Amino acid sequence: MAQVIQYLLNGIMNGALYALIAVGIVSIFKSTKVVSFAHGHVIMFGAYFYFTFAVILPGAEFMPDWVAKWEPEWLLAYKEGAAMFSPKAAIAAWVSNLPRIVLGLVGSIVCNALLAVFIERAFMRPLLGQSSLSMILCTVGLIWVLEGSASLIWSADIDQVPPLGPNFPIRFTVFDSQVFLFSSSVVNFVIALILFIGLMLVLRYTRSGVAVRATAEDQSTAYAMGINVPAVFTTAWVVAATTGAIAGAILASRNGLSPTLGLFGLSVLAVVLMGGLDSFAGVFIASMIIGIFEAFTQWQFGGEYAEIVPYVLVLLVILWRPNGLMGQAEIERI
Amino acid sequence: MITGNFKTSYAADESLWNNWAKRYGFVLAVVFLLVLPLFADNYVLLLAGQIAIYVIAVTGVNVLVGYTGLMSLGHGAFFAVGAYTTVILHQYVEHLFPLITLLVSIVVAAGFGFLFGLPSLRVKGLYLAVATLSANFIILFFIRQDWAAPWTGGRQGIETPNAMFFGQEMLSNTQKYYFIIPICLAMVLFAQNLFRTRFGRALIGIRDNDHSAEILGISLYAYKLKSFAISAAYCGAAGSLWAYFFPAILPEDFSLNLSITLVVCLIAGGMGRTLGPVFGTLLILLIPEMLKIVSGWATGGDGRALIHFSSIRDIVFGLIIILFLIFEPMGLVSIWDRFWRVVARWPFSK
Repeated sequence: MAQVIQYLLNGIMNGALYALIAVGIVSIFKSTKVVSFAHGHVIMFGAYFYFTFAVILPGAEFMPDWVAKWEPEWLLAYKEGAAMFSPKAAIAAWVSNLPRIVLGLVGSIVCNALLAVFIERAFMRPLLGQSSLSMILCTVGLIWVLEGSASLIWSADIDQVPPLGPNFPIRFTVFDSQVFLFSSSVVNFVIALILFIGLMLVLRYTRSGVAVRATAEDQSTAYAMGINVPAVFTTAWVVAATTGAIAGAILASRNGLSPTLGLFGLSVLAVVLMGGLDSFAGVFIASMIIGIFEAFTQWQFGGEYAEIVPYVLVLLVILWRPNGLMGQAEIERI
Repeated sequence: MITGNFKTSYAADESLWNNWAKRYGFVLAVVFLLVLPLFADNYVLLLAGQIAIYVIAVTGVNVLVGYTGLMSLGHGAFFAVGAYTTVILHQYVEHLFPLITLLVSIVVAAGFGFLFGLPSLRVKGLYLAVATLSANFIILFFIRQDWAAPWTGGRQGIETPNAMFFGQEMLSNTQKYYFIIPICLAMVLFAQNLFRTRFGRALIGIRDNDHSAEILGISLYAYKLKSFAISAAYCGAAGSLWAYFFPAILPEDFSLNLSITLVVCLIAGGMGRTLGPVFGTLLILLIPEMLKIVSGWATGGDGRALIHFSSIRDIVFGLIIILFLIFEPMGLVSIWDRFWRVVARWPFSK
């Protein structure tokens, strides 16, 4: 029983991360009808920007010392006498890392937004009006461009980055059984959840959200109603890239940073298709299902089998519901 | 546009080489391929063999993507099925005649194609692309497993057998070249011929509008499945030849990268045309060679530049896809067409 709860929780934590990445793919699809195969690699760029601003830049000569390691008087006093691996020590370590974490996050969000604008302007805009298949293939081409440039700019070695939240183990009992979690993964979970719900609310209740939904419904009518459709496209890419930057920072702090991070995007693509491309709710459910299934597979069959779980599940679901769990069926006319 | 292409009978109009340019072009190509080993060195032959194998596979992808209009990102798996079938057959029967293994690989791959094709009626477009991509991951995963290692070599890969022709082992690249090229030519011609038949035209009908095709009496399911099987069979043949051509195979050889490369070759060459796969494969496989030459000039043979070689190659690959999609969506074939149109009508057209 203890292990069931343990792996269930692990699965939900992972599922939230899936949802955070998937939200980018869905927001691009909803407004532009393009499914970005390169989203994983945009995320990888976010992770590398985070690495640049949180590790490389604070270590540079011209930066003041407090950016790399912030140790005001009261923090030293607080840290006094804290045992290793205790929450107190972990929080103190986190606070002293805080300046570079903030710098890293801001830097990666800004840079990723610029990257998204560039991609949209340079590669996607010229394809406007062509079949969506060729736009999708264009994002496949982007995979290689992004992967190549990442290993050209940064080295292909695996690097470490500071986690977003304080990292200490949490132990508590549920139904008389011990459950164990890392606080940083709880923080990641909360961040993912807030971003996901926030985006959904923005799309639902703000003017720009309505513009995005109108564009998704019918581009030319949206144009006629005075909606700046190209601006909506750019916004969608920027939203995807900024959520991707945060997801990248989380992923990099969890699994380490390497150019193979981009492959994660493909399994998220499976998640998105399983949920239904145009449904935030469906994608959220699919993320949770896949996250939990992965955790249980890891428990029962070992980590190796976990890597094909998203693909097996998406195949099964697509056979049963060709448009994903909650996706809208496309109406075709002859 | 070919000038001087008048016909006096229906048979001439329907023939495989329906104009003189195709006829003489084919003869020239055959002569060129026959004499190539006389003045090419070992490395060129290696490249040529590799290109021929890719041409077979891309022609297979063309049948499905270019002619039937179904997207697939999983053809690397069929390639793997062909290659591993060949290797496994040789484990049970020694000194098997290569054409028999080739045939068996084709049949097995076609069977897998049927299996992959099953979702294709219900699942369309992008969902199909991701379904095939998933299948690719799953098949490779099982090949990599330890319990499959006695047959497939697991993640370490496995040594492949040499082809034996009547007790004579094929070792040199020249021999392998002469083994592969006729098969490649035959398979490309078969594809060209396929789309003169009722069957091929039905596939084109499905691509152009599947509902209309169904109204005209084409069974969508049967034709889509057959298209999947044929295209998988091509990739299976390519995989089988791949196993003979290279000393060893690894599961990584057939990863998603291969599947995407095949599609990229098709886009660069031109979808739905026989020559598309040939041009596309030539371009994509020769780019690394050209890059090597260019980087050799740029750095004066400095070895340090080679560290970045694979990154630069990736970027160039990606840019080629994107630039082709933006500026030349019909691929190299349309440039080729334009060129000959200008030549044929000179000086009245540019």
